[in-house]
Amino acid sequence: MIRLFSLKQQMKEGEQKGSGGQQKKASAAQLRIQKDISELNLPKTCVTEFPDADDLLNFKLIISPDEGFYKDGRFVFNFRVGSNYPHEPPKVKCATLVYHPNIDLEGNVCLNILREDWNPVLTINSIVYGLQFLFLEPNPEDPLNKEAADVLQSNRRQFEYNVKKAMRGGYVGETYFECCMPK
Amino acid sequence: MSVASPNPALALQSKRWNGLRHLLEREGPFCKGDFSPSPDNLEFLQTKCKVLVIGAGGLGCELLKDLALVGFGDLHVIDMDTIELSNLNRQFLFRRSDIGASKAECAARFINGRVPTCRVTPHFKRIQDFDETFYSQFHLIVCGLDSIVARRWINGMLLSMLRYEDGSIDVSSIVPMIDGGTEGFKGNARVILPGFTACIECTLDLFPPQVNYPLCTIANTPRLPEHCIEYVKLIQWDKESPFNSVPLDGDDPQHIGWIYERSLERASEFNITGITYRLVQGVIKHIIPAVASTNAVIAAACALEVFKLATSCYDSMANYLNFNDLDGIYTYTYEAEKSETCLACSNTPQLLPIEDPNTTTLEDVIKLLCESAKYQLKSPALTTVTKEGKQKTLYLGTVKSIEQATRKNLTQSLGELGLEDGQQLTVTDITSPTAITLQLKYQANEVEMI
Amino acid sequence: MSSPAPKLWGEHGQMLLESANICLANVTAVGCETAKGLVLPGIGGFTVADGSTVKEEDLGNNFFLDASYIGKSKALACMQLLQELNPDVNGDYVDESVDYILANRSNFFDNFDLVIASNLNEQTLISLSNRLWESNVPLLYCRSLGMLGTIRLQIKEHCIVEAHPDNRQFDLRLEHPFETLREHLESTEVTSKVPWLLVLYKYLKVWQKQQDGDQKAPKNYKEKLALKELIEKEMKADEENHEEAIKAVNTAFGAGRVSSDLKAIFNDDACEQLNKKSNPFWIMAKALKHFVTEENNGYVPLPGVLPDMTANTESYIALQHVYRQQALHDADQVYHKCQDYLKQLSLPVDSIDERSVRLLCREAAGLAVIRGTRIADEYEKSCRLQPLVEDNELQGTLTAYNFALRAYERFLCECGNIPGECTVEQDIGRLKSIASKMLNDLGMHATISNDVLHEICRFGGAELHAVSAFIGGCAAQEVIKIITKQYKPIDNTFIYNAVTTESVTLKL
Repeated sequence: MIRLFSLKQQMKEGEQKGSGGQQKKASAAQLRIQKDISELNLPKTCVTEFPDADDLLNFKLIISPDEGFYKDGRFVFNFRVGSNYPHEPPKVKCATLVYHPNIDLEGNVCLNILREDWNPVLTINSIVYGLQFLFLEPNPEDPLNKEAADVLQSNRRQFEYNVKKAMRGGYVGETYFECCMPK
Repeated sequence: MSVASPNPALALQSKRWNGLRHLLEREGPFCKGDFSPSPDNLEFLQTKCKVLVIGAGGLGCELLKDLALVGFGDLHVIDMDTIELSNLNRQFLFRRSDIGASKAECAARFINGRVPTCRVTPHFKRIQDFDETFYSQFHLIVCGLDSIVARRWINGMLLSMLRYEDGSIDVSSIVPMIDGGTEGFKGNARVILPGFTACIECTLDLFPPQVNYPLCTIANTPRLPEHCIEYVKLIQWDKESPFNSVPLDGDDPQHIGWIYERSLERASEFNITGITYRLVQGVIKHIIPAVASTNAVIAAACALEVFKLATSCYDSMANYLNFNDLDGIYTYTYEAEKSETCLACSNTPQLLPIEDPNTTTLEDVIKLLCESAKYQLKSPALTTVTKEGKQKTLYLGTVKSIEQATRKNLTQSLGELGLEDGQQLTVTDITSPTAITLQLKYQANEVEMI
Repeated sequence: MSSPAPKLWGEHGQMLLESANICLANVTAVGCETAKGLVLPGIGGFTVADGSTVKEEDLGNNFFLDASYIGKSKALACMQLLQELNPDVNGDYVDESVDYILANRSNFFDNFDLVIASNLNEQTLISLSNRLWESNVPLLYCRSLGMLGTIRLQIKEHCIVEAHPDNRQFDLRLEHPFETLREHLESTEVTSKVPWLLVLYKYLKVWQKQQDGDQKAPKNYKEKLALKELIEKEMKADEENHEEAIKAVNTAFGAGRVSSDLKAIFNDDACEQLNKKSNPFWIMAKALKHFVTEENNGYVPLPGVLPDMTANTESYIALQHVYRQQALHDADQVYHKCQDYLKQLSLPVDSIDERSVRLLCREAAGLAVIRGTRIADEYEKSCRLQPLVEDNELQGTLTAYNFALRAYERFLCECGNIPGECTVEQDIGRLKSIASKMLNDLGMHATISNDVLHEICRFGGAELHAVSAFIGGCAAQEVIKIITKQYKPIDNTFIYNAVTTESVTLKL
């Protein structure tokens, strides 16, 4: 090991040299999220919105698919990045009520990298791509909204019809969906 | 604390140290090269060396005892927790009558009473309640924590305390961190010399990830009792908002009781067996089973490293010990490597000379970063932390909403932005795998000082 | 006591711990730290034996002595301060030395479940070792000197039911399905919703048909790859259970056979020849052997434990049910055989309960028996030490420290003082000649380096608290393992050097 220093030679009490490191320093989670955000490389169907530009830990992601079942819809996700990022994944909830097999009516999202397959090497960008993919390829094998998943599996046309109905604003089954088509 | 200050002169003469003095006052074939055997070593431990113990739980109690009995005379301990019944089977400085009291204060009182040559100062506070003037008074910091967030915070604090001279670390600003952790019959101990050896962030992947079950399994195809408990915790709690919609509190027996009942219902609906109250508690609170003996071993390994560093009698362990006694007793020591791209410890602050903060704009700084041969950045994002500790985004061009909000800063001078001499800016850019820390150096300021 | 750690050794382990009675022979820091690790989780009782009184120099490294006891019985002091940790534990003491007890009432030790001794001299150690071996009381002997520590376990026979292996292989019997499993597997349609086990079985059948002989499961890499490719070929995209089945090919087969450890248990005399005094473990082992060899085609009882597998709830629970039922059935057979043996031995049939048999059956693949050796035997010329020091390999190894510490203990007897207590230089020479003679008497040609002997003398008998706390923590866990009969203890000597943070386990 490097012969570094002898503690005994260190005076501690009352010693404060120069302006030292009096500056506040960003936390590890802050450093990492700044890196993630400044390197965001979004697909053209996605935008982020930061209500407070100083707060990089809380933001929205808006996905407006340009193909697939959900074309022309506009879906908002809330991201909350905790102080243990990237050891723990951010918490992501869908703020738009959506008829989707992998998103339940409370906004919980079933995406593997948000839970069991998260690891610190992944970034916010990985999650954005994962979410975007959910709208292109809803996966009835891993359902959160079981009714929607069953319809998708048994009758794709019925599913497509239900999605459109929900996006325009209307009832699917007993649930009323707000319109989420801006045009 | 009502215990009288120890009398150092008396303590040094005490026969109680006869054994320890052999180790500190004699040469030996395996001692560190610069070890100088002398009575000064004990005197240093007893009267000058200040050690901070973070956490007064299972590891913390052991650490305080171990350090007091290898000659340390001035210990501080921080813990914000109070004593619970379930702590008593391993946190051996506490008794039933102490339930509800501060762990730090009880632990300090006990050690001060039992070991009169040691003075423990308790802090019934959170680690975040102290700033670097507090942490820099210590020669060494030992952590007995069960939280990764807290470890990362201390790690960041110790890194931020480093001072640099001509780009290299001023060794007197290093406060070594010795960190211990246990889980059941397994544990680890490590020595971190901030800036020199692998830090907590370098090796973040060594911490076992939290167990997260797939949400769809929890919601639709539960198979394990844990799946049922997670469902109630993640979905049903928000949906049914019991107890007037308060957030779930793992320490509230009523909350645990509610989850237990609902989990039982859900499990029986799916013919799943094995829900117990204890399991519910474990899943909700992420309880890691702790055993007294593993805590004792890991704390002792940490205390030995503190002792080696403080006395220079032997080389420090390099730098990571794994221990487990599931099958026999097994130890393995290896050198965890410092990551060259660690966001926390690889970015040495670099001085950024500024002619005049009142004429230099943020745009000028960005231009410099992009055009200078040294940096050659593409589209840097700049943030800083204000004196009040608030995060502030100065400019970030890659995200539209932030760009719009921060565009006005570009034309402002550094002075107008409230940036002071010595303040640090964090810069990230796609061209750099790490963050860059810039420290502003105002030339005008220097002129004034002359 | 407030919630100890039943998650790690279970309520049944905790009950054993709470009814155990141990003796702490000789009060030292390492002894007290070991006792602390047993009093906290709630051992039944402990008795401290030590003939000396508390002196100021004892206070520096022992947390369980304080100044108010100076001049009083050390055994009393340490008993009282240890008991304070846990009011549910019974503490007792005798202020007599180990030597005195051995000479005057040597049956004192016979009724303990285990004796912990530490830092003795050679003669006392050998006498205590012999006495406890004869009376079949386990002895855990600890040393703590300077930066060095050792633990030596002396136990005649130790039977472990729950070894809690870190990576347990699931015993699934796919290649040899029991009747109800075969029926279940063959009557269930394989969809993307069923556990991977059914997927793997389906393709295993296909694979088996392709083999020339009647090989039941793939053994080598090539065969495993072929089976994986079979599944992959038929898999539609996004079939998680098929992906899991492919992954499982490597680990799913081969469990359930009798391991070499288990074979040794079956062939052990204690298993072959039961008598009225047989440990219930051996009666159950014999019943187990009968089941395996006579009733179950050489397979151990089914553990009935399944890993989690992606599947819908119904199909997983149904499969789980099949395994659990068979496990109960197997355990029942073994239980009945146990009862037969108990009757043959004219022992009460309730002396072995159904729960213990079920546990033994679940853990059958990992049962282990340790047959230990006597410490005193290490001092005989014919002992097992020699292979350890072949080719003069004592230099630079931790083994050297074990011999150096033995020389230290002989020094205590022969010279009447502690090596290095007053002068280092002179004692190094004396220690060296004792060590050479000791090794020579054992028929070894190795030598211990001067540096190691110098280091030992430099310590001057000092016990460093942190080393004692490390060794005490380890030792306490070994005692818990022995008392709860769970997890494998050291077999049999652990050596730790705090200078280099290294350790090794030797079988002496």
